[in-house]
Amino acid sequence: MKKQQTYAEIMESRGIDRREFMKYCSLLSVYLGLGASGLPKMLKAMETKPRIPVLWLHGLECTCCSESFIRSSHPIVADIVLNMISLDYDDTLSAAAGHQLEAVRKQIMKEYKGKYILAVEGNAPTKDNGVYCMVGGDSFLNVLKETAADAMAVISWGSCASFGCVQNAKPNPTGAQPVHKLISGKPIINVPGCPPIAEVMTGTIAHVLTFGTLPELDRLGRPKAFYGTRIHDKCYRRPYFDAGMFVESFDDEGAQKGWCLYKMGCKGPTTYNSCSSMKWNGGVSFPIQAGHPCIGCSEPNFWDNGPFYSRLAAVPFVGTDSNADRIGMVAVGAAAAGVAAHAIGSAIKKKSADNDNEE
Amino acid sequence: MAKLYQEQYVWRLPVRWYHWINALSVTILFLTGIYIATPFLAPSVGEATWYHMMAWIRYVHFGTAFVFLANFLFRMYWALFGKDPYARFAGFKPWNPVWWGQPFKDQLASYLFIRKKEPNYCGHNPVAALTYFLFVFCGSIFMIFTGLAMYSESNPDGFLNGLFGWVIPLFGGSMRVHTVHHLVAWAFVFFLIVHLYAIIRHDIMDRSSVTSSMVTGYKTRVEECPEYAD
Ligand code: HEM
Ligand code: SF4
Repeated sequence: MKKQQTYAEIMESRGIDRREFMKYCSLLSVYLGLGASGLPKMLKAMETKPRIPVLWLHGLECTCCSESFIRSSHPIVADIVLNMISLDYDDTLSAAAGHQLEAVRKQIMKEYKGKYILAVEGNAPTKDNGVYCMVGGDSFLNVLKETAADAMAVISWGSCASFGCVQNAKPNPTGAQPVHKLISGKPIINVPGCPPIAEVMTGTIAHVLTFGTLPELDRLGRPKAFYGTRIHDKCYRRPYFDAGMFVESFDDEGAQKGWCLYKMGCKGPTTYNSCSSMKWNGGVSFPIQAGHPCIGCSEPNFWDNGPFYSRLAAVPFVGTDSNADRIGMVAVGAAAAGVAAHAIGSAIKKKSADNDNEE
Repeated sequence: MAKLYQEQYVWRLPVRWYHWINALSVTILFLTGIYIATPFLAPSVGEATWYHMMAWIRYVHFGTAFVFLANFLFRMYWALFGKDPYARFAGFKPWNPVWWGQPFKDQLASYLFIRKKEPNYCGHNPVAALTYFLFVFCGSIFMIFTGLAMYSESNPDGFLNGLFGWVIPLFGGSMRVHTVHHLVAWAFVFFLIVHLYAIIRHDIMDRSSVTSSMVTGYKTRVEECPEYAD
């Protein structure tokens, strides 16, 4: 095994001067929520830690995570992180292809046993031995398990890998399962979103690459730095929510004036992500700012929590899509009808009891 | 026909207070909860800074929720330490097959018009006890856990979330918790209808004055006394 370069060395060899390097490090430490005081830590890690190889697998997915990733608003971050990664293995971004690429994967797995990071985009169908997603002649299910076995840690990109996304929405015909359901005994970071925000992705991977440790995770395995608050709690339309001023249809006065989208089905109140603080495309905008309700794409089961444009989730009820209020009213109606029928029965019973007493 | 009345003090003051505070807070919680999910009042358009319709309704929901919670805890205290024979849930042993025996069957049979005689109980009859357990006890606990889990969501690192945050992944995410909290809210209305009907019916069928007993504390036992018949 040849000596691994440090990140600082890689950057130097790519013609990035010290000044740019410092800028990159301070940017990263802010991303990671380490603040200005995190800079020395970051610098030290970058200058001394050897580069960690990353294997980036693609399973059942649409590549929107990669698309988001390569559009990171700070090209220097994206470029560098991306180049660090594509040095190793990524079946959509590498120059190599086919057997050649599979050989690279196998070689890295062998050379860096227990030291590489596995990044997974998409998930694995498990039905019929995983035939619904084949990579290089083998099922993705096998490839995933094989590659995860010797990984140091696993990063699940996007809602597919983290929670299942549309592939495992009801009725889940291919038996698709998120990564954490298939891999055990490895530290797993979930970075949900459809796709996740580019800076959240670069921030997460940069944390692991530079420190060699996992960022602080919440109960659902998401980095707290990026998934610690709900969209709703930092939404700039929140004053309209509190005021009760809601958009009622997409062409009304409220929509024009930018009122709250709660009644249009906004899932901001139940969605943890950074959209309302970091926003997208370098802070240009995010769905709610563009006048569309949040669909909650970074939450588990978000496809099954629809409809997207209604506040109340559809709940299957005797073969139809109903909702909590309709089911409640049916139950209450049934109670009222039952009570009325019972009252008639009781009246008859009492009458006959009274008659018995008379006799 | 003459009747023999026997008055029996059943519901002591703590039980009655619990009952009415609970009734009031559940009513407020249900109405504000439904409003939160479907805010229907059109606002008078003004400065969002001063006009706080939605925030107020939510505030009332959460405030009432804590009254509801404190009241529930008080009732549990009274059950455990109150030395009140009718408030202790003492006879309620659904895990024991004996409990499902004759008294339960008799009561159910008379509700189903299979049995002619209406049994008469000082405290709760076994069927009533079961519905109170399911709707009031389990229902309240369910609403408290899901409610506090949602309430704690604004600060996932906070104290409350440490206690109740595990409820969220249990149901598969925040939206699911909202949905189940909303569904079970309707169970309280379902219960209310059955409950009101049952007490009024008992008053008519066996004149045990259950309805007023929750105000006065006294239940009346009525015996028909044919020997004094005129
Ligand atoms: C019998 C008792 C209760 C009833 C009937 C009730 C009813 C409701 C209903 C119908 C909703 C709307 C759910 C939705 O679709 O989003 C709701 C929301 C909520 N309730 Fe309750 N609730 C009760 C007790 C509690 C308790 C004890 C708490 C504890 C703090 C609580 C906290 C909440 C919270 C935090 C929300 C979400 C509000 C929001 O999304 O803005 N509830 N409740
Ligand atoms: S638009 Fe959505 S996230 Fe923003 S305040 Fe309204 S409900 Fe909350």
